[in-house]
Amino acid sequence: MTWEALGDIFTIHLVLATLRLATPIALIALGETFSERVGIINVGVEGTAVLGGLVSALVAFYTGSPWIALIAAVLAGGLAGGLHALWCIRFRANHVVSGIGINILVAGLALFITSAVWGWRGTSSYSDTLNSWYIVGAMFFLIAASQVFIFRTKWGLRLRVVGEKPEAADTAGIPVHRTRYIYTIVNGMLCGLAGAFFFNNVGRFTTGMVGGRGFIGIAAMVIGNYSPVGALGAALMFGFIDALQMRLQTYIPSQFSIMLPYLITVLVLAFLIKRAQVPAALGQHYVKQ
Amino acid sequence: MSEFAVELKGIVKRFPGVVANNGIDFSLMRGETHGLLGENGAGKTVLMSVLYGLYYPDGGQIVINGTPHRHYRPARAIGLGIGMVHQHFMLVPRLTVAENIMLGQEPTKSGVLLDREQAIRKIEAFAEQYGLPVDPRARVEQLPVGEQQRVEIIKALYRGADTLILDEPTAVLTEQEVESLCEALEKLKSEGKSTVLITHKLREAITMCDRITVLRKGEVIGTVPAKETSERQLAEMMVGRDVVFTVKRGEATAEEKATVMAVEDVRACDDRGLEALRGIDLELRSHEILGIAGVQGNGQAELAEALTGLRPTTGGRIRVGEHVLTGRGARDYIEAGIAHIPSDRHLRGLVMEFSLRENSILGRNREARFSPGPFWQRQRVMTRFTREIIDAFGVKTPSTATQAKNLSGGNQQRLIIGREVTKDPCVIVAAQPTRGLDVGGIEYVREQLLKMRDLGAAVLLISMDLDEVLMVSDRIAVIYAGQIVAVKDPDETDRHELGQLMLSGSLSTDARKEESA
Amino acid sequence: MRAILRFLKESTFVRETGITLLSISLAFGVGCIILWAGGYSIPAVFANLWKGAFGDKLAIGQTLTKATPIILTSLSFLLAFRCGLFNIGAEGQMYIGAIATAVVAAQLHLPAVLHVIVSLAAGGLAGAFWGWIPGYLKAKRGVNEFVTTMMLSYVAIGLTDYLVAPRGPLHDPKYMANQTARVDFTAMLPRIMKPTQVSWAIVVAVVAVILVWYYLFRTPSGYELRAVGQSPTAAEYGGVRVRRKMILALSLAGLLAGLAGAGEVLGTHFRFVDGFSPGYGWDGIAGGLIARAHPVGAIFAALLMGALRAGGMQVQRSGAAPGDIAAVLQGLVIFFIIAPTLVRMLIRWRRRRSG
Repeated sequence: MTWEALGDIFTIHLVLATLRLATPIALIALGETFSERVGIINVGVEGTAVLGGLVSALVAFYTGSPWIALIAAVLAGGLAGGLHALWCIRFRANHVVSGIGINILVAGLALFITSAVWGWRGTSSYSDTLNSWYIVGAMFFLIAASQVFIFRTKWGLRLRVVGEKPEAADTAGIPVHRTRYIYTIVNGMLCGLAGAFFFNNVGRFTTGMVGGRGFIGIAAMVIGNYSPVGALGAALMFGFIDALQMRLQTYIPSQFSIMLPYLITVLVLAFLIKRAQVPAALGQHYVKQ
Repeated sequence: MSEFAVELKGIVKRFPGVVANNGIDFSLMRGETHGLLGENGAGKTVLMSVLYGLYYPDGGQIVINGTPHRHYRPARAIGLGIGMVHQHFMLVPRLTVAENIMLGQEPTKSGVLLDREQAIRKIEAFAEQYGLPVDPRARVEQLPVGEQQRVEIIKALYRGADTLILDEPTAVLTEQEVESLCEALEKLKSEGKSTVLITHKLREAITMCDRITVLRKGEVIGTVPAKETSERQLAEMMVGRDVVFTVKRGEATAEEKATVMAVEDVRACDDRGLEALRGIDLELRSHEILGIAGVQGNGQAELAEALTGLRPTTGGRIRVGEHVLTGRGARDYIEAGIAHIPSDRHLRGLVMEFSLRENSILGRNREARFSPGPFWQRQRVMTRFTREIIDAFGVKTPSTATQAKNLSGGNQQRLIIGREVTKDPCVIVAAQPTRGLDVGGIEYVREQLLKMRDLGAAVLLISMDLDEVLMVSDRIAVIYAGQIVAVKDPDETDRHELGQLMLSGSLSTDARKEESA
Repeated sequence: MRAILRFLKESTFVRETGITLLSISLAFGVGCIILWAGGYSIPAVFANLWKGAFGDKLAIGQTLTKATPIILTSLSFLLAFRCGLFNIGAEGQMYIGAIATAVVAAQLHLPAVLHVIVSLAAGGLAGAFWGWIPGYLKAKRGVNEFVTTMMLSYVAIGLTDYLVAPRGPLHDPKYMANQTARVDFTAMLPRIMKPTQVSWAIVVAVVAVILVWYYLFRTPSGYELRAVGQSPTAAEYGGVRVRRKMILALSLAGLLAGLAGAGEVLGTHFRFVDGFSPGYGWDGIAGGLIARAHPVGAIFAALLMGALRAGGMQVQRSGAAPGDIAAVLQGLVIFFIIAPTLVRMLIRWRRRRSG
């Protein structure tokens, strides 16, 4: 690797690429932060993002307006989040299993709908998009707003208590189940937004679009210690690695550089994580009297 | 304004399989401290939970300040001036005192941001007014139990409680802290608050309350003024028969009390990494019950775990015979002949989802009798063995395939005891073995421990109930701040002396008191 | 007669199976709604589904061929699940097992039966190693195994892709495609149901089911593993070395997934072909859930999914609807099965209406 090569890699484009690649991860990590802070594990974030991308493509195709498509994607994501919450809270499904179910279901739906609507298995047609930098900006705003919301407002205090000790919230008169529904839906909406970002980046929907970044988002949340700003930091790190590996593909076999983000995730989790501050009531069903 | 702060008329509350409250009448006069007395399971907490809105009653009427109310949740109860301090604190350990207290009624700047300073000022005002010192900025997990309780009380007052319900408030307090609580209650009374004190301790009921209502098996036995009753009378009302205050401990044969387990200068940390055992020295002898007396939180839980291989030690030695067990895991302790009746049935003692059959070999599944090799487990032997335990130890269950979670607490404990006892162990570590059991269950457990002692086992009994320790032990060791501060013969000591040791670690305060008097 | 009815009502096995069947029916019901919304002919779709899955010998062969690796990956997921762990990386473990098998089967030269056994073992051990990694990380450092198994899956797929790509070390120079050399004749698993592709691999899978059942329910190690899954604290109390069990569980899970890959190499393709799996590993997760974590259930779950896949292909060919309706149905079945309370509620609601 020569100095010239390094000069080619480390440019302003790398910074811009980092921001763009980090955005969906940050959105998903932020969403999962909300959800886990109220005690609901949602591994269905991957599928929800795929759903967001799919709905974006669908609605853009039928209405021609990427903005309406964006709203539809967010709403669809919220719906998926609500479904997950319903399964976990009302029907007492195991949180992780329910999330897996969403991923599988969305994967099947994506294949079916793309075949049915466009005739190609797993891809949509191209549509007009909006500038995905809007979403990048929105992401930064959401992270900042969430940080203040969670740690400095009364609703943030309440949601934290629901995730730490639901009994304490209940006896203080805070509606535990309703809170869990709300923030899981918020989680879904953020993932839907991430999915819309993927769509607007490329111009169409493909099934491999999200490519495991939902799970990387979960890892980012853990590394970021359940705070929005931490999630952003971790997401930027992943975004950087992702941006870097794309540029390295001219120097090392492509398969290895594609592997890189996933490998790094494992290594970071293995060696850099001390026991994070997991919300104490995470994953437990709360039974009201 | 009605002279009654609260009236409960004919309250009925049913749960699957049991009627917790069966037509209970209870009234709380304004400004009085009213004790609600009864054994575990008598229905005291359920009744007050109904009042607080945690449960809807199946029948009866609730009148608060002269107006009837129905179907309300705690949020409404709080609005009506009722506050409850639960036995297990409803505090979030990771948050600060102020955050815990203001939950649900948070003061805000411009409607959005939390105004922590305002809450802190209000809390400090309450602390001052009612003599309940707390540090609003500290995180709850760093506070001692007594201070946590004060936080809970202030939490109720902060929300405007005029009626306070305290559920077993002294269960986790040292005697000094109990005195502070008494003073606080006096202050509350003088400020016009009415209090219900749920307890199962006779002495406290008499000293701290104006009137006492006794519940037994979901029904009111009677309501008496504290000054006109006695411990004996109350006990009779609680249990329904003349309570024998001493169990025949009997003398174990003085012969061959060999040292079975030697514990030397053992140190260990608790779950938070703080040192919980700071140099424990103990000798467990055969044919003897050694009782550990102490206030909860002085290292008993960690001691039980260290002596059964469930907690790593950071210093010292543990020997059983020639085996040195320091640093070994639970399996080695089990193989060395140490049985463990754990304090938490749900967490440790049983796999709740497993059948009784599979639970009966927990800890024993590698014994040759059950699995002659790594490749098979004798199913029929397991079933037969489970049957034996069920019959011999009186476990009430429809079959051996019933899941452990479907048994009552008492029957679960019987299974655990049967399993541990039939190991023919040389050491039995019994941690809070009678917790949560009814009178019959408690007696049964104590009998079993005595029986094992007579057969030659060395029994370590860890119990929060000082009377139980006095009744059953041959020797008593007092644990204080992670060390054994005294070992006494129960016939040569009394509650007073032991209490002193339990809460201050030495007897010297006695002398100081006498000097200043 | 009444005794039989009472037995049926009280037997947990019957009840659980009934709930599973009900969930499947509900899923198919919702599937019908989707088909109707899309304007497709429901009878045509189901007719083709059946035809593709069980219509004739070739169809049944398709179903069984697809079901075979899914049996093993379902076992993989459910074994780990019994220990309270989520093995999401069966797909990657399968790839690692497959490539190891392909190498051993092509490079070594041994007599027939021995060669098969050694090749299968190689696949199993390689998969076990890939499962051991997340197991070790979980046990020693508390790292969430869901994320690590998933990440390692992507790593495995990328790694094997590199190895068999045109410039990769294991690439078969005789062909353009990304694949290894053909395995030795002596290592191939003979076909059972000519002219279909069903091979002895399915026997391997069924034997694995029996072994896993026996391990979980009749050996002390399996007992301890299940105890850890239900209550790690109680297991610890019972002298179980919890962390070792976790490592064992994930290693065994990897072994089973590796065997799935081995079976595909030795029984179906006779070499490692890049992308040979249309997602059998992910199907294993679904399969383990549908099987309600019971080894014998894995056979039926795998058959269901194999049937859906085979049937889906026929639906696609017939043009009655996009073949992926099968994938949708699969997703719906999972979704309804994982909410035990939902189905119980529905049963009670129906009872109340009629009673």
